[in-house]
Amino acid sequence: MSFLRRNLPGMLVMGIPLMWIALFMLLPYGIIVTYSFWLKKYPTFIPAFQFGNYITIFTDPQYVRVFLRTLKISVLVSAASFLLAYPFAYYLVFRCRSAALRTWLYMAVIAPLWVSYLLRAYIWKTILGTEGVLNSFLMSLGIINEPSSLFLYNQFAMVVTLTYIFIPFMVMPIYTALEKIPTNLTEASADLGMGPWRSFWTVTLPLSLPGVAAGFTLTFCLSFGDFIAPFLVGGPDGNLIANVIATQFGAALNWPLGSALAIVMLVVVLTIVSLSDRMERKGMTGGV
Amino acid sequence: MAAIIELENISKHYSPTIIGVDNVSLTVEDGEFVTLLGPSGCGKSTLLRMIGGFEEPTGGAIRLADKDVTFDPPYKREVNMVFQDYALFPHMTIGENVAYGLKTFKLDKDTVRTRVKDALMLVGLYDKLNQRPQQLSGGQRQRIALARAIVRRPKVLLLDEPLSALDAKLREQMQIELKHLHEKVGITFIMVTHDQTEALVMSDRVVVMEKGRIAQEGRPQDLYDHPASPYVANFIGTTSFLPGKVSALSGGVATIAAGGTQITAHPDVTLSEGATVTVGVRPEKVKLLAEGETADNVFEGTIAEVIYYGLGLRISVTLADGSKIDADTLLPDKLSHSTLPQSGAPVRLGVAAHNVFVFEGTVTP
Amino acid sequence: MTIKKTMLGTLGLLALTASPVLAEGTINVLTWEGYADPSFISKFEETSGCQVNATYVGSNDDFAPKLMAGGGVYDLITPSIDTTKLMIDLDFVEPLDTAKIEGWNDIYPKFLALDGIQKDGEYYGMPYSWGAIAFMYRDDAFDTPPTSIADLWREDLKGKISLWDDKSAIYVAARKNGDMNIYSLSDEQIAAAQKTLVEQKPLIRKYWATAGELVDLYKAGEVVISNTWAGYQSSLLADEGVKVTEFIPKEGAEGWLDSWMVVKGTPNKECAYKFLNMQLSELGQCGVANVNGYSAANASAAKSCMTPEQFAALHQDDPAYLDSLLIWTPLGDRFEAYTNAWNAVKAQ
Repeated sequence: MSFLRRNLPGMLVMGIPLMWIALFMLLPYGIIVTYSFWLKKYPTFIPAFQFGNYITIFTDPQYVRVFLRTLKISVLVSAASFLLAYPFAYYLVFRCRSAALRTWLYMAVIAPLWVSYLLRAYIWKTILGTEGVLNSFLMSLGIINEPSSLFLYNQFAMVVTLTYIFIPFMVMPIYTALEKIPTNLTEASADLGMGPWRSFWTVTLPLSLPGVAAGFTLTFCLSFGDFIAPFLVGGPDGNLIANVIATQFGAALNWPLGSALAIVMLVVVLTIVSLSDRMERKGMTGGV
Repeated sequence: MAAIIELENISKHYSPTIIGVDNVSLTVEDGEFVTLLGPSGCGKSTLLRMIGGFEEPTGGAIRLADKDVTFDPPYKREVNMVFQDYALFPHMTIGENVAYGLKTFKLDKDTVRTRVKDALMLVGLYDKLNQRPQQLSGGQRQRIALARAIVRRPKVLLLDEPLSALDAKLREQMQIELKHLHEKVGITFIMVTHDQTEALVMSDRVVVMEKGRIAQEGRPQDLYDHPASPYVANFIGTTSFLPGKVSALSGGVATIAAGGTQITAHPDVTLSEGATVTVGVRPEKVKLLAEGETADNVFEGTIAEVIYYGLGLRISVTLADGSKIDADTLLPDKLSHSTLPQSGAPVRLGVAAHNVFVFEGTVTP
Repeated sequence: MTIKKTMLGTLGLLALTASPVLAEGTINVLTWEGYADPSFISKFEETSGCQVNATYVGSNDDFAPKLMAGGGVYDLITPSIDTTKLMIDLDFVEPLDTAKIEGWNDIYPKFLALDGIQKDGEYYGMPYSWGAIAFMYRDDAFDTPPTSIADLWREDLKGKISLWDDKSAIYVAARKNGDMNIYSLSDEQIAAAQKTLVEQKPLIRKYWATAGELVDLYKAGEVVISNTWAGYQSSLLADEGVKVTEFIPKEGAEGWLDSWMVVKGTPNKECAYKFLNMQLSELGQCGVANVNGYSAANASAAKSCMTPEQFAALHQDDPAYLDSLLIWTPLGDRFEAYTNAWNAVKAQ
């Protein structure tokens, strides 16, 4: 009894988060895993233990196709975010002399995070639309004569929108990683005869890889699970895996198949996370 | 000996009012060990970084072996730097760190291996070849940083406070090691430090800097014996200062009223009678006079404080005119309270005439 | 703070945030936008003393998941005629006491004959409003008005065509293929429809999912031809000054019918029946006709509250029109084949 009283605060501190995890993470996963073995039967579905749903996912080409498409979009978003975020973060850390300007630019990238996701996605609809800002701009410059419909309702628009929405998750870890690199390391490299480019490749880039890996993981996983962008700016070929899962739980009323899809998706994401974790760890041993 | 580095009127003005280095000219001979000494903010590090190419001067020229390198980037200069916290690459092994500087030389693999080995043998750490910097101690990293710089066989090796991150014991040991290394490799060393002992122990020549300018340069012994200013006198060693007035001059001997008495001195500067001067005396040159004992100059006063520091005592004495003077004395063999000087006791101090510094004007150092 | 207090606090928080109000005399309806519009609901609330809380669905697919998530929240729902049967089979709804509903016998006999709203001789759904899944085009984009479903497959309209993101796409494609038995397609016919839709895909600008989205697509000039919920989006577009015309293609159009259903075990039965009576009366019938532009299921109520023009425009006295519509039919266990084919098209 006295043991309990003495340890009660500690048990509460640890217990509540643990209960939270058990109740709102492990239990739902358990339910999803269970459902994934059930059987679709009109009007809903019945308990069973069979692998039909998983077999369907890997044999019906429509699921493999959507998985590959989602993979492609996520990789493109991560790559585009990286190509934009890295030079930006590099500029902020190493080139921007004014601390005020640096803070301002950093906030400019991070601030959209405080704006509703939907609003940000809608912005791109008005920019990329046939009668949108981009078309008006290009026409006023005389680059095109009539509005182009090539910008909206396709995979390009999805990549642009998702890149815009998730780029803060690439900038932040890269910025942090670059900031942690002591300036005297690049000076040492120059001192040892390396020009700026070779110094970048041999010192700065390798040392910032943990940040890059973290950024890739974040943007990839966020894109991989997205289903708003396909809905708002995606075209007829824009269906992603999350949309398919939503359809299975909604319109198709096939929770077992939807659950199996969710499990496969989870496995893909966890694989990516553990790969990048390994990479970060490897970077860590070389880390500062 | 030929000049390897020539600095000609080098200045670094960050703004009209913020001046890092102000019109410094200095020549370093080939094979010399020169130390830039001064407190933080005196411009010594900035000067070193300009030699290394990490900063550009706003005026003047830098010549390396008769070639103007003033605006050359670091990777085009045949000088190498040992950074204050070593700047070893954490993502590379010790071997890779040392070999890094050889990449631009386009050497074949065997040559690289031999040179890396030689450099590591030189600092006695060849067995750490495949370890990472994080696995080494501070002193070992210091040696690796040296090996990495020396392996390129630069014309000049720059050392930016190389020992400041080490603890006192190790620092003393490394001072000697560095000095030996310098003798062994025969490369010109230019070191920056704020530690006067380091400067005196290691260097052929010391350049004392003050507020972006050179206060005085010379062999350690010359600086110690003939400081050009109270600033130098106090930065190299310790000096007690007394205000004084020249009462008589004859030949190289001056008679000066100071510390409540008339003292004789051999000033390094030309003085005029009646001039206001500052007299400097090093505590270690002040002798506690026994009864009946005498000296060139004798001061009388009372002991204000006695500080014990193991090797000896520092006795702070208040003179008749209220000015203060310090005297160091070794401890007698047998330590007993009765023989130790006591606070408040009257005391006589003796100083030889050639050990008295005379500086013009009044100075509050 | 004890564990008990923490738990109570958490539950309280859940109660505050999670559910619609459960007060006495309050009915919670899960329905389409416009079906509980304040323009006629507030009058009902005043006279009946029952409060109405409306939650809106975006598609018929929302009813089952919302009710599966747990009972006791909603009292009344309005699925369309292809979903009503599912609600009955899922045991989510209870039989209606038609004697308690005034005007029941004024409902179009054609609707009361539909299989989807009854089971074992009992009615589960009260027909409320109906319309066609018509087609629609932008006036300024056509010199000759389109008349066929095939116009949605025209190469020269590439990138300007939209289609409802719904299994009904299969119905459209089947009719284009000449298969008029759209609710009892064979596997081969479904496969053919799927192929036809895949062929159309490069021409599609975007599949529309919500009424608002289709309006936006027309407004922004992205789309010039599509299918539509007759009467609804066209009037929204007219308000925006976009000139569009609805048409029934020569391959015919599907018809839909929404019915009110009472969720099984509702504790608010009294208010629920008051609500049903109101919705079938002039107040409810003309309410939805005025707000959404849908036709009424109670012709005699419609006749007394509509202007003759509106009465005619909504085909209230036009048995031939009603007969021409291919009224949605529950697909039963063929449902999966249809949705699967449509999903496969979208995955392509």
